[in-house]
Amino acid sequence: MEFDPSFALSTVPTILSAIGMTLLVAACSCLGAAVIGFCLEITRRSGGVQGLAVRFLIDFIRATPVLVWLYCLYFILPYYGIRLDALTVGIAGLSIYFSGYLAEVFKAGIDAIAEGQQEAAKALGLGRLDRIIFVIAPQMLRNIAAPMGNYFVSILKATPYLAVLAVPEMLGQAFDIASETYRYAEPLMVAGIIFLSLALGISQGIKWLERRLLAPMSR
Amino acid sequence: MSILDIWLGILEGFRVTAGITIYGLLFAIPFGLVFGVAQYLATGFVRFVVTSVIEFWRSSAVIILLFVFYYALPVIGVTLSAMTVGAMVLGLNIGGYASQAVRAGLQALDRGQKEAGQALGLSRPTILLRIELPQALVAMSPTFINHIIQLVKATSLVSLITLTDMTFRAKEISQIAYEPVPIYLSLLMAYFVACYPIALFGRWVERRVNPVREARNGI
Repeated sequence: MEFDPSFALSTVPTILSAIGMTLLVAACSCLGAAVIGFCLEITRRSGGVQGLAVRFLIDFIRATPVLVWLYCLYFILPYYGIRLDALTVGIAGLSIYFSGYLAEVFKAGIDAIAEGQQEAAKALGLGRLDRIIFVIAPQMLRNIAAPMGNYFVSILKATPYLAVLAVPEMLGQAFDIASETYRYAEPLMVAGIIFLSLALGISQGIKWLERRLLAPMSR
Repeated sequence: MSILDIWLGILEGFRVTAGITIYGLLFAIPFGLVFGVAQYLATGFVRFVVTSVIEFWRSSAVIILLFVFYYALPVIGVTLSAMTVGAMVLGLNIGGYASQAVRAGLQALDRGQKEAGQALGLSRPTILLRIELPQALVAMSPTFINHIIQLVKATSLVSLITLTDMTFRAKEISQIAYEPVPIYLSLLMAYFVACYPIALFGRWVERRVNPVREARNGI
């Protein structure tokens, strides 16, 4: 079998039609990972037993593969009667996996905030939640724009893992074409090229945003 | 099926997991070193080519790269074993990340190091090999150890190209006995047991290499 460029070209529209699904998965997982990661980091900082437990949980997440997390959720939840569709399971898996990494990013971002900020907020009588939302979080976000953007791109690059759970994103679509036509090389290559351009494009976009957002603030 | 049976069953896949990791490092280390140094030294068109190669391996979704090389190489007449394809793709992907650590390590060195070498009349290769690289490699070693963990975790992907690693064994066992909870939790534990010691070693190296930063974070 030889590589057939015209067949490759003919698979482009079908694979591209799933780009919305890919972006949806990526966006939901970024949000999920950021929310879970932030909660993990705040709990880790609070110390005590739950702080230690979360410290271990973050290490545990970071020492285990994302594929295995997806399998775990996908096969274990139904055993307990929790039936979720593959898309939800996939987003949950990516969110959990990347929350461990984002927690570390948030840690660095919070560490970099001057100690006086916390003390001043306390002196003004702000409660713990107010301090986190209005004092810590905004300053942290400014500190971590670059590494957080990198992890968002990593999440985008991890979305094809969901093809393993038969979620119809771009790689899944490519495999559908492959199993219908028995030609694997062309659709997979097309999917690879689209993902590479998407990842490069979005990381350039994030760099541009960073410059735009951070330039006026830098002192 | 007892927990012990499950553990022993998963352990049967450890040889492939470890094999791919070591075989993959044989691709990752030379690639990271050569391309990291090349990106640091090269200018103009050569630098553009070097950067493109690195970005291809680093910015592509690794799961798609794996499938593309597994299915597409035979089409252009290159037949490699699944083991070699897996090790090469995962290794070069990690090598792409490692090259950035090498380049960053070289760029972070004080200019005076190179200038002092030139003042002593040392040749450029001697300066690189005897002065710049040794310092850069020490500085990047904690980052590189993190990349090794990423590689170990990424080996779970080779289960998708028919290699019997730990993940593949877990799926096989779960087809014999419907006990997803102990099987997949054991699989998570297996990767944790493999990766966590590397992570602890990485932290120890980080403290040795970078004692100042550690002290500041401790406050």
